[in-house]
Amino acid sequence: MRLLLLNLTRKPLRTLLTIFGVGVALLLFCFLETVLNAFNAGVNMADASRLFVQHKESIIFELPMAYRQLIAQTEGVTGVATACWFGALSQEPGSDGKKREEFFAQFATDIEDYLRLYPEVQVPPDQLAELLSDQMGCLLGAKIAQRLGKRVGDRLVLRSTIWTQRDGSSIWEFNVRAIYTTDSPTFDQTMMLFPFKRFDEARQFGQGSVGLYMLSIDDPGRSGEISSVIDARFANSPYETRTMTEKAFNLQFVGMLGNFQLLLRSIGTAVVLTMIGTAVVLTMLLVSANTMMMSARERTREMGILKAIGFTDGHVFLLLIGEALVLSLLGALAGVGLAWLLANVLHFNPKPDFFPVFYLPQESILAAVGVAAVTGLVSGIVPAVTAMRLKATEALRSV
Amino acid sequence: MNAQPIIELRRVSKLYHKGDADIHPLDDLSLTIDRGDFVALMGPSGSGKTTLLNLVGGLDTPTAGEVLVCGQNLTELSARELARWRCDHVAFIFQAYNLLPVLTAYQNVELPLTLLPLTRQQRRAHVLTALDIVGLSDRLHHRPDELSGGQEQRVAIARALAADPELLLADEPTGDLDAHSAEEIMALLVTLNRQYGKTIIIVTHDPKVAAVAHRQLHLEKGVLTLDVDTLEKGA
Repeated sequence: MRLLLLNLTRKPLRTLLTIFGVGVALLLFCFLETVLNAFNAGVNMADASRLFVQHKESIIFELPMAYRQLIAQTEGVTGVATACWFGALSQEPGSDGKKREEFFAQFATDIEDYLRLYPEVQVPPDQLAELLSDQMGCLLGAKIAQRLGKRVGDRLVLRSTIWTQRDGSSIWEFNVRAIYTTDSPTFDQTMMLFPFKRFDEARQFGQGSVGLYMLSIDDPGRSGEISSVIDARFANSPYETRTMTEKAFNLQFVGMLGNFQLLLRSIGTAVVLTMIGTAVVLTMLLVSANTMMMSARERTREMGILKAIGFTDGHVFLLLIGEALVLSLLGALAGVGLAWLLANVLHFNPKPDFFPVFYLPQESILAAVGVAAVTGLVSGIVPAVTAMRLKATEALRSV
Repeated sequence: MNAQPIIELRRVSKLYHKGDADIHPLDDLSLTIDRGDFVALMGPSGSGKTTLLNLVGGLDTPTAGEVLVCGQNLTELSARELARWRCDHVAFIFQAYNLLPVLTAYQNVELPLTLLPLTRQQRRAHVLTALDIVGLSDRLHHRPDELSGGQEQRVAIARALAADPELLLADEPTGDLDAHSAEEIMALLVTLNRQYGKTIIIVTHDPKVAAVAHRQLHLEKGVLTLDVDTLEKGA
């Protein structure tokens, strides 16, 4: 092991450049993984024990509020919350003093029911009490609050692109009463929730109807069965339903936002990113393999010496493959470590409005280290096998 | 003197193919060398000296015949068994010293010991003893590029001694040294032979070096042409 590590110090500049090369490649790999993960964030935050009920035709059609009681009575359903997509833009002045319209997700919902359905959402009790006692109140995710520069007690003005108030105005005002956080890395912290009651009373049209019902069920394994029961209950009624898992809903929701372009771009980008990722890994492999080949060729005579003093072919093989592996893993330590530091510790996010969730998942870290290990093994295999097969007498003759 | 043979070559031949030509570095050679002997192998370039040394050291295998060293028929061993056998019984000293440049004198000497079932303390004791024998106790942490040629060769001899092998095989060990250093190295090898009982085979072109050996073997075109017992001659 000592010889293995000392061999890496033989040409420090070459070793450092190789580690740097592998490190940069893995940094890029991790960044691509983070972006891909961000694309899938909405899907990843979905929980198998939650179902969503919407109008059979489309989410843009509403369902009667009377369904709530019937859905709640369905066997296996443990909780129900109503929700309506609000679809508004912030009307806050930017740093330059001009009005800045920012898009983020807002839902009118039964706050308490919602929080029961999403135990991963954490709201300080005193803020929650304030929120529940103020019909004009709203609950902001920590990230969107930070982005908008809002604190508890501030006023928030939104312009809804869907809902007008009874007086015909599409400007809605809210009091920021609470800010939620979560320990779940996949949960979106850029949403706003506000009381459904206030929304229903103030809106100009659609009273008594809801956009969707969110349910919790006792057994995720029965989601299909429970969905069928609910949809069967409302079959042949004027408002037929379509019940689906949260994951299916989230996938559909991207498209239902009318943002097909985003969906297609996301898929296209994912494909391109995967191709870039493959190219990155191949480049890394070539850099590492080149270093190992050069390093091994320069030491042909030393392989002969080692064999002469009793090292077996297997020892020599392990020495060279070990060097390649250590070199790659040091690169991984540098590249993945930096990516982890940027994304998970310093919370670097190049497009916070586009990627509400932006972090490097544990699986991606493991994948990057795995890629580095495989690269090390593959790049070391040729020089290691060559050195292993080398006859000591021939190696000792080499200059 | 009725010494035990440590090396026995029975009708050993070695054949190489180089292009269309067949090369016989050794041709039907039979030879016995006794334990504790100091043998000089001489002959012109290409006469088979190094090939003979490599066969005796288990680095190469004969095309025909048997090579018995330290009671073991080397032709019966696999490559892995040969490596293990080398580690236990034989050590090489090369003309170009062949130390590993990244390791210190101490680490170079310790290298073959890492293959043996020894504790760190036992290894340290072996290394310090070997470096003391060659007179380099004050150069433990010097790397090869910080040593003179003579000192490098002493470290190489210490490495050869570290595992306490019965047989030392030296391939022109003074070839790259100045006259003074060469004399010191030869004196050291004589000490190892006389005082520590090591059997030594040394390949050399230098008659002065060969003169310190008990026995001189002359090879020509793979055939033993002269076998002189210098002790008897001297007596």
